[in-house]
Amino acid sequence: MTAQETVGRIQKKLQELGIAWRSQTVDTFKAGAPETEVKGIGTTGMATFDVLRRASAAGKNFVITHEPTFYNHQDQTGDLENDPTYQAKQRFIKDNNMVVFRFHDHAHALQPDPLVAGSARMLGWTQYASPTEPRIYVLPATTLRELAVDVAAKLKGKAIRVAGDPDMKVTRVALGPGYGVPTLTSSVDVAVGGEAAESGGNVEYILDAAADGHKKGVILLGHMMSEDWGMKEVADWLRPLVPEIPVGWVPAGEPFITSR
Amino acid sequence: MADRIRANLGVAWRSQTVDGFRAGEPSTAVTGIAVTVLATTDVLRRAAAAGQNLIITQEPLYYATNDDPGNRAKDPVYLAKKALIDEQHLIVFRFTEHWNARQPNEAAKALAAALKWTSEVSGAPQTYRISETSLEGLAAQVRSRLPIRGGLRIVGQAGLQVRTVYLAPGTTSLAMAVTSLQKADAVLAGEPREWEAVPYTLDTWSSNPGKGLIAIGRMVSEGPGMSACAAWLRSIVPEVRVESLPVMDPYWSVNA
Repeated sequence: MTAQETVGRIQKKLQELGIAWRSQTVDTFKAGAPETEVKGIGTTGMATFDVLRRASAAGKNFVITHEPTFYNHQDQTGDLENDPTYQAKQRFIKDNNMVVFRFHDHAHALQPDPLVAGSARMLGWTQYASPTEPRIYVLPATTLRELAVDVAAKLKGKAIRVAGDPDMKVTRVALGPGYGVPTLTSSVDVAVGGEAAESGGNVEYILDAAADGHKKGVILLGHMMSEDWGMKEVADWLRPLVPEIPVGWVPAGEPFITSR
Repeated sequence: MADRIRANLGVAWRSQTVDGFRAGEPSTAVTGIAVTVLATTDVLRRAAAAGQNLIITQEPLYYATNDDPGNRAKDPVYLAKKALIDEQHLIVFRFTEHWNARQPNEAAKALAAALKWTSEVSGAPQTYRISETSLEGLAAQVRSRLPIRGGLRIVGQAGLQVRTVYLAPGTTSLAMAVTSLQKADAVLAGEPREWEAVPYTLDTWSSNPGKGLIAIGRMVSEGPGMSACAAWLRSIVPEVRVESLPVMDPYWSVNA
């Protein structure tokens, strides 16, 4: 089966689920030839060079990535044509007969959103999901510090950042993966998400709320720490659609190291 | 005051800009000026207590780039901030695009000064030669010289040898990383996007030993630039007291 035919199976399944394939979408082939014969499929949060190497070594020549391959949302490569890092990555893909396809917009369209479900499962929060409010989790009472320590331990995250009073009481948490950190409002204690613009959002709100005695917090997991796990859910979703091809998860992992 | 800024800036005032009055009555007589990266409620209270009724801020006032509170329009935190500004007759002026348009880049120059880096590489603006150290050693140096709590993150191999660093305070774009890393060993960034400059730097490891990136956060990276802005304002309005009100690193880390 070719990469193109694999994508056809995905599109057919989405159609059965009532999700129409969008005409305007970033979910397209990013590198390699769609007619390439697929030996194995690796899903990942981001098709970094390291992910491509590990996928190739594991016999997975078709990588399905949630985030871009070439460092910008539209995967525009015009400004990168003469860049040695870009050139080396393209060469590696070609030399190893690889294909890269992005599965972003349509992954978020699935119900439940696998990117949210994947993070919730890793965090052990699935049973705390609010039955009526999407993305809200009602946790057993804890503090921001305890919650952050628990989250970092479960995800094995080294570069997780937290804002807000460590001793604040927490029960109502809003969870949003990637760049969609939920907006903090008076009905939410803590927002947990991937990454966010550091101005024009939750951080100022937390500081201003604290000045008025309202305690709010945010836990920024990092983009990959919040979406890599969701692509494991996508691998599980994909497997029965292509029973003739091995499907595995190739995590991108946390890009950061920290130091003291 | 705003007219004085425009006249002395050396940069043409843009017709489309986020800079300008965001709250208060522009005809109010200025009793004192507070300059800050972020006009938080705490900063506004400190300014009001010190008799400074004009607050000049780099970042937005009301939690959005266009200062539209959106779904927070009835939120008690937003309403309390708005009431504070009204009651204290404060004026908030946003000054970011035009301050950052000055050449050479004021924020980078001020950040270098805060880091005690003096050797700018000729022909490579915002790039500094430093005493050779590892990427991890550089992170330790940055941590010791800037008010960082939990917001510092490193991309790259800890042992990477660093001799030249490009300073990119504020938002750090992909184009900045791609261009500057041709000449520098590492980028000291404010806020890089994790699908742009971060994976780009990660992928440079394909050619050993690759490059490095240290992200320190937007507010910490812009702090020295706004102190420099306060000094500049003092020079153009000597008759008014101008104070710089710093904002600390908003983040902490469980690993710190």
